[in-house]
Amino acid sequence: MPGSAMPSVTEHQFREWLIERVSRYVRRPAQEIDPSAPFAEYGMDSVAALSLFGDIEDAFGMYLEPTVAWDHPTVESLARFLALETTNGAVR
Amino acid sequence: MLKDENGTVADSAESSVRERIAALEQLLGDPHDPGNPFGHAALLAADERGELIPEAERALDGFGLNAEFVPRELGGRLDRVDNLARVLRPVFRRDPALGLGYGVTSFLAAIAVWASGSEAQRRWTADLLLRGGRLAIAYHELAHGNDFVRNEFAALPDGADFLLDGRKEVINNAERAEALVLFSRTTAEPGPRSHSVLLVDKASLPVDRFDHLPRYRTVGVRGCEIGGFEFRRCPLPGDALVGTPGEGVEIALRSFQITRSVVPGMVLGGADTALRTVVGFAVQRELYGRSLLGIPHVRAAIAGSFADLLVSDCLCLVATRAVHLLPEQTSVYAAVVKYLVPKVLQETTYDLSIVLGANFYVRNGDYGVFQKHVRDLPMTSLGHAGTAACQATIIPQLPRLARRAWTLGEEAPQALFRPHEDLPPLDTDRLTLAADQDALVASLLSGADRLEGPEGRGRELAGVRAMVRCLVDELHRCREEGLALSPQDRTALASPHAYAVADRYALVLAGSACLNVWLDRQPDGSAFLDDPRWLTAALTRVVRRLGRSLPEGAELDVDWMLREVLERHRSARSYDLYDTPLAG
Repeated sequence: MPGSAMPSVTEHQFREWLIERVSRYVRRPAQEIDPSAPFAEYGMDSVAALSLFGDIEDAFGMYLEPTVAWDHPTVESLARFLALETTNGAVR
Repeated sequence: MLKDENGTVADSAESSVRERIAALEQLLGDPHDPGNPFGHAALLAADERGELIPEAERALDGFGLNAEFVPRELGGRLDRVDNLARVLRPVFRRDPALGLGYGVTSFLAAIAVWASGSEAQRRWTADLLLRGGRLAIAYHELAHGNDFVRNEFAALPDGADFLLDGRKEVINNAERAEALVLFSRTTAEPGPRSHSVLLVDKASLPVDRFDHLPRYRTVGVRGCEIGGFEFRRCPLPGDALVGTPGEGVEIALRSFQITRSVVPGMVLGGADTALRTVVGFAVQRELYGRSLLGIPHVRAAIAGSFADLLVSDCLCLVATRAVHLLPEQTSVYAAVVKYLVPKVLQETTYDLSIVLGANFYVRNGDYGVFQKHVRDLPMTSLGHAGTAACQATIIPQLPRLARRAWTLGEEAPQALFRPHEDLPPLDTDRLTLAADQDALVASLLSGADRLEGPEGRGRELAGVRAMVRCLVDELHRCREEGLALSPQDRTALASPHAYAVADRYALVLAGSACLNVWLDRQPDGSAFLDDPRWLTAALTRVVRRLGRSLPEGAELDVDWMLREVLERHRSARSYDLYDTPLAG
């Protein structure tokens, strides 16, 4: 597939960015954030998860549903979704 | 031709609402008449007994009040959220417990079905309400308050069915409702996709698997039958699911945008009675050889209270009409109104209680109804969305709005601020969980510009101009502080500072609502609303609550406001934007 290397790099960047972001929400060191654990387990409530979409929008210019972090509720799954969206043209 | 037709449609909608309000006023009668079975004396006695007046409920059955909660396409009379609030005001004016206990909680429950239910569920719910039935709304558990995502009540899938297990507490009409709308955990995983909404027909449940909890006795709305449920591995058919599995939080948050907008507009009816009662007292009472109305503090308290009611109604107007006109933005406005209006009304009843003096503590007689409304008010405003829950909706949105919406953006359409103008149909699919525009802020900025032009000329507007500059300045401060909020401030652990920003932002919106109701008033509207003195009065109340001193020339004209208050008392007309004739 052409350009298939790109998403994996981007996915990694999304992961790093999300870990840093979540650690600031819940005030815990980045190394304590388990990318496979649901946001809710860190005390990131549904409303905070809802505001993550605005952060993504600002940082990456991606326009997403507010509930994106509900439907992809871990760093891992959200990073994968965002990487896919990037290749599918959610960026404006 | 088309315009004429539109005009006629709007007029007939307006005249239908007026007829319904007049019919309710007539049905419930003059509250001061001691012989009226639904008057203050009877309502206070029922309150002491902890019950609603059965004949009053039958009278509302006769009126078909439940039809107000059912969309027109399903055979009811619900087409506009602003009008729903108006039609319920006569009921809340007499007795908030009657309003809630007879039916408003049925509406709070049903809105989830109107917005997300299947055709069969919508039809079934409409039929239940139209034949006088009730729905209970069971979202909360006492231990988790408004943090309802932590609910432990479970409805785990069991084959094609659900198995209900757990308790729902402090639920209005738990026992006498035929059906309930239940918010429930449907998977064991944590997070916002683990809950669903279920529509439960109590008749379909095996009687040995659930019980009603004993009634809770409450400080206010004592006539409401507040109870709860306990389910023990109780089977429920799978078709009870409203929407899709895991959609519960989303359905709840979207429904709240309507319910939080509309309830404060109903509650305003109770505050009207509180003010009216104190005015009646002041008119009759003599102290130190002069009428109470000759005492400057009493005059100021009454005039200020009327201004507070107008501020509240401007907010209610904007929130309920925004549901139709700006559904993408109502998540914030609904929370602001539900947060600020009950707060303003509680402050104003406190100010009024000082005028009543010792009579404030009397539970019967001519003025006993005042303390009933003081007790009922916090209950009706806590209800389904406490203050903290509303703030938790506002605060996380502040940084994004500050960045994107508070410097530029489209202002609100004129119709948002016009009480009698037609509205597009309600479209619940357009309600979104986060706002990315803020038309009310844009309208504040454009309104401020308009005041600097020809519309703002004249000495009588000097105070308004100065106070609007204050509001704009306050908005800029909110913006700076909103931008500086940390990510942690967007969680439940937000700092007190974040709450303070939300509080000031809410007041800025209140000021914008008042300003634009005046600026965009209909040319053929009432002489009262045309006069900038009510706006001046309203803005002084907002600016003072912002903790700022009033700028030069900004003064509430006590004599002018009091004259209006006394005239509306004498001629029995409502203390709100609508100036509606009352039965007494």
